[in-house]
Amino acid sequence: MFLHDFLHLPVRLHLTACYSLLSTRQGPQVALTPAAQARVFKYEGASGLPRGLRMSLNLVIVLCLTAVLGPTLVHTLCSGSTDANKVRLSIKTALGDEAYDWDESEMFLFKATIAFAMRKCNKKQYEVSNIQVCNATQRVSFWFVVTDPKTEDLVSGKDVEKAVRMSRNRINSAFLLTDKTLEFVNIPPTLAAPVKPATPPWLIVFGVVIGLVGAGIAAILISTFIQKKRERGGIKEREEDEEEEAGQRNGVFCTVQEGADSNINPGFIEDDPFTKL
Amino acid sequence: GLAMKVDGRPSWDNPTQFLLACVSYAVGLGNVWRFPYLCQMHGGGGFLIPYLIMLVLEGVPLFYLELAVGQKMRLGSIGAWSAISPYLRGVGVASVVTSLYLCLYYNVIIAWALWYFFHSFQAVLPWAECPVGGNLTGVQEECEAGSPTQYFWYRETLNITSSIEEGGGWHRGQALCILLAWAVVYLCTIKGVASTGKVVYFTATFPYLVLIIYLIRGVTLHGAFNGIKYMFTPKMEQLANPMAWINAATQIFFSLGLGFGSLVAFASYNQPHNNFQRQAVVVSVINSGTSIFASVVTFSIYGFKATFNYERCLERTGMLLLNTFDMTKDTINIENLNHWMTELNRTYPERFSSLSVQLESCALESELDTAVEGTGLAFIVYSEAIKNMPISQLWSVLYFSMLLMLGVGSMLGNVTAITTPLRDSKFLSRHLSSEVLNGLVCLLCLLLSLGFTTRSGNYWLTVFNDYACTFSLLFIVLIEIISVCYIYGLKRFEEDIEDMIGHRPNWYWKIMWIVVGPLIIIGLFLFYISSYIMGGTPSYQAWDKDLGKSVAKKYPAYVQIFIVLLLLSSVSCVPLVALHTYYKSRMKRPKEEVNSCPLTSKEAS
Repeated sequence: MFLHDFLHLPVRLHLTACYSLLSTRQGPQVALTPAAQARVFKYEGASGLPRGLRMSLNLVIVLCLTAVLGPTLVHTLCSGSTDANKVRLSIKTALGDEAYDWDESEMFLFKATIAFAMRKCNKKQYEVSNIQVCNATQRVSFWFVVTDPKTEDLVSGKDVEKAVRMSRNRINSAFLLTDKTLEFVNIPPTLAAPVKPATPPWLIVFGVVIGLVGAGIAAILISTFIQKKRERGGIKEREEDEEEEAGQRNGVFCTVQEGADSNINPGFIEDDPFTKL
Repeated sequence: GLAMKVDGRPSWDNPTQFLLACVSYAVGLGNVWRFPYLCQMHGGGGFLIPYLIMLVLEGVPLFYLELAVGQKMRLGSIGAWSAISPYLRGVGVASVVTSLYLCLYYNVIIAWALWYFFHSFQAVLPWAECPVGGNLTGVQEECEAGSPTQYFWYRETLNITSSIEEGGGWHRGQALCILLAWAVVYLCTIKGVASTGKVVYFTATFPYLVLIIYLIRGVTLHGAFNGIKYMFTPKMEQLANPMAWINAATQIFFSLGLGFGSLVAFASYNQPHNNFQRQAVVVSVINSGTSIFASVVTFSIYGFKATFNYERCLERTGMLLLNTFDMTKDTINIENLNHWMTELNRTYPERFSSLSVQLESCALESELDTAVEGTGLAFIVYSEAIKNMPISQLWSVLYFSMLLMLGVGSMLGNVTAITTPLRDSKFLSRHLSSEVLNGLVCLLCLLLSLGFTTRSGNYWLTVFNDYACTFSLLFIVLIEIISVCYIYGLKRFEEDIEDMIGHRPNWYWKIMWIVVGPLIIIGLFLFYISSYIMGGTPSYQAWDKDLGKSVAKKYPAYVQIFIVLLLLSSVSCVPLVALHTYYKSRMKRPKEEVNSCPLTSKEAS
């Protein structure tokens, strides 16, 4: 009994009552709701039927109307209402081989998690019976509405949305799913805030590389500078001789250029144009 | 090294260094991002025919010519062309100016590669996912409209404005990267040829290592074969399209790096009897071979990316149908998608037609057809493919370090093209050592390059890329080839070559220099002029952040004037300096000029 959908129960009750009343034509055997009672008294003076028959007919009409309209009312509440939310699950996408089947107990868990989310948000005592589900399909998608525990009115879509967003993580993890695979259509997911490290990682790598390059440049410059200082002593004496020699050779300016990085005295360079290297 | 230095000029430690330096210079970013695009545009495998023909007609002879001039004159471009004729000193100056422009913007591309390289060291590549939006309910709208890789490129890397007129501030990350890029270039050229000679061992060989690794990875990717098949299916009718031939000629010309003065500078450090003829052929063939090799890799990556996107598209369509019609998960998959679509259209026509707005048409061909070149290919398409590979951080690091090596290798040539003529000048070399001179050049270029790190920097870079060097180079090389053949004299040139390598150039070289080369260059020249004049207002692609794609916009008037100034500034060097020399020779007393022609050893003795 407890596993049956809440909605199916009253339909059977109502239909059995309708049938039994129509067949017995006796006085009412079921307690009337105040609304039904009011309707019976309204119709009392309208026609020439005997009072007992009129009453039972009215009752039958009322009950049959409730029987038919009742579940339809909840049904329309569920899928047609603006306060209803559609849910879509993609269990196979998320879990692949470890996917579980969607059955009644999973549905019960779902209602329990929504009731939990509503309790967290509104601080009212929501029960599993306050969550009504309909239009379940093979895709594993369905609509649901939430009713207030005290007043039986529908809770507005906005409140449901707020509650779901607040506890989205808990709802997702109850089913081992993520925001993408457990979709609440029209409820935007709450994405994790981007993690901002104190130093962006790229700066660290940049720092290392530029440090190495800088060290390389400094090393070369310093070594060149030291070398130059050492040669400056020795080279000064030979400078005058070199300039004379350079003037006699074929006009290509050379010596001064090479003061920085050459320790080969151009005067000693071989000058054979036919040497193949 | 223990190489003998003739007349005190520094030189390469061995001929291999020179060869690798030329390879490193010629094999650059264009081989990776321009050639595959041209291949795709002009009929895949069929494009190789005009490409190889132009290599033989134009590429190798011009390369040989520049090496010969440099090795003979043993001076940088300014000195070498002064030696050809004092009135042609302007050709050298124009080369230096063009090299300067190239250095300014090319290093910015290296800065971008550095930026991506540094950002690869993260658990999740930053261009793999859209960042979360302000209110934490969804992702950034700009990213949603475009794609995560586009968002990372346009917004995080460039922080681009919506048009060239809007300046925007500086991008600090880019400024740091360009500082590092110039520091690296300085480190590699700090002692001139002595440093460059050692660095090129690495910059020339590392890109090949990465390309081989990528080739193996690329062809084993799912869907790679689609791309390779697409590339190599020749569409021979494209050969009738003159644009294919013009693009082939242009690609050979620019890919070899002619006219910048780098080849002259490199060759000037050679030993006098180095066999540059063999080296010229080898380098040109290696350069073209690398282009073809790189495009095989690129097309396998294209194929992978296109197949990946196509299959995602099919999955999304399937999911949409599942959700709308509430069917169980497994009924629709990629294979039976079409069957289900017709089925559902038949059974629920109204609901299906209401879906038609959301349904995207998935086609593999259209994915492959998106031909991209340039920075779009390197930074958007490739990074999109990389993020879908397993262990994407490793592939990302490899790829961007390859781009860095390719870029730095080419930069070395261009910086050498600037510093060599400066060092040749007696005045500068007397007062400044080579380290200080190179440092000053790098510092000046760094300060000017900072202009490209502003938010509209990429638009200015496109201006430079399209106009600063293309036209001027054609002009410079045309003057070079005409001056060598007709002003210096082909006979004299032949004798010089015989001096250097022991035999005269045969008839093939001579015909190419005298007739074919100049004709091709004049043809390209006329084509560029006419397309510039008839093309109407030049336009560019601006990023629209609301639409999430690029839109075409026209350049404003001041930018067009700037373009004209750019062109004139290098081209006008030739006549201006010629006039200046003429004027000076009229006014000077008969004493030796400041930059006299070096006499050959024959003439001196």
